[in-house]
Amino acid sequence: MATQGQLMFARRLGPTARLLIWLLIGVVCVVFDARYQALEGMRSAFSLLLQPVRELMRAPTDVAAELGGFFTRHRLLQKERDVLLAERSRLLVGVNAAQELARENAELRTLLQLQTRPGQQVVHAALLYQGHDWFAQRITLDAGGGSGLRNGLPVVDAVGLMGQVSRVYPGSSEVTLISNLEQLTPVFVERTGQRGLVAGSGYGRLELRYMPAQTDVRPGDRLLTSGIDRVYPAGIPVARISRVSRSQSGPYLRVECQPLAGLERSRAVLVLVAEPQVNTR
Amino acid sequence: MTVPNQTSGSWRRILGTLALAVLLEQLPWSGWALALRPDFVLVAVLFWVLHQPARIGFGVAFFLGLLADFQDGAVFGQHAIAYVIGVYLLLYLRLRLLQFDPYRQAAQLFPLLLTVQLTVLLVGWLAVNPPAGLGVLLPVFSSVVLWYLIALFVRLWHGKGLQDRS
Repeated sequence: MATQGQLMFARRLGPTARLLIWLLIGVVCVVFDARYQALEGMRSAFSLLLQPVRELMRAPTDVAAELGGFFTRHRLLQKERDVLLAERSRLLVGVNAAQELARENAELRTLLQLQTRPGQQVVHAALLYQGHDWFAQRITLDAGGGSGLRNGLPVVDAVGLMGQVSRVYPGSSEVTLISNLEQLTPVFVERTGQRGLVAGSGYGRLELRYMPAQTDVRPGDRLLTSGIDRVYPAGIPVARISRVSRSQSGPYLRVECQPLAGLERSRAVLVLVAEPQVNTR
Repeated sequence: MTVPNQTSGSWRRILGTLALAVLLEQLPWSGWALALRPDFVLVAVLFWVLHQPARIGFGVAFFLGLLADFQDGAVFGQHAIAYVIGVYLLLYLRLRLLQFDPYRQAAQLFPLLLTVQLTVLLVGWLAVNPPAGLGVLLPVFSSVVLWYLIALFVRLWHGKGLQDRS
């Protein structure tokens, strides 16, 4: 394939040699990143580079949503308003009761001299980008170190627990979803109080692990965070049990759960920022 | 898109399309759209490797692979390795692909893109949660040794006649 102006004999390395060189560099990258976490600087650089672009590219969908909302039918809005009013009055009753309970609770806690529960302060954040990877179930938020986020903070949406902040950049942060394969969440069964561990099984599914075969769990039971780990505040809804089956080989039940939070849908989330707890023991 | 010949791919056009591909990936995809989203960056890189192999090659593919790794929150190198392998396969098939019509080109690219995707899967699997360490690869070596022993045995048993008769 020697055209005019080109040498007959190759002066550059052949494609196979170049492939091997780049593969070697790639393997070095993987090892340095997975074993030694040595490439976080590069991640930060990419984050700084891409964040304005992501903000920009979110605009079209925001505009589309605005337009869609503008053309919602009047009738629909009226109906929705009626429903909301009814729900508001119902919730107000609940709020009054809750305020009463909170006061009583505070009195009891001072009586017992317990620490207040962590997770009182919240940071609002919006979903910026959703990853597309089998092994890292992660999403990117538009709030970062600048808003006071740290590694390990719990992230919730209106319905339930989403996950945990796992990487913080100046203006954005990465959240590892509870459906991540390596993510464990300590929970208890709402109906019985039985404690357990929820592990992600990838692609928006969860699994309740290490439940002995005679445990009382049924499809439909809700799982709440137990707060044992001091990371998640207790009582955040996590998942609903969808299927319970006996495994032939192991001593434990196979319990499959559906996450309650919209892991793949929610666009607005809350990050619960707790005061760093000082252990005086 | 019109197929440019060797001379019409200016740097501006190449960088423009690559930037456009990166921008498209930045859209907040979700749900079915996310599952179906084509890998714009990979397609753009392969297109320019096909038509401008002197300008776009392994280095660009590797860098854009790192970018894709960052976007998915994956281990650095996962997409980079896969993209580099894709470029190599494309260079291997290049002369044939250039003579095909778009339909056949797409058909030829299917196994190539499949290989890239499976490489992403494999590298991620090995990097994030290797099931039993890299010990799963040991049978490869023992099988090679077994092959050597069998071949040696057959050669010794039949002597050189095995090759002569065939």
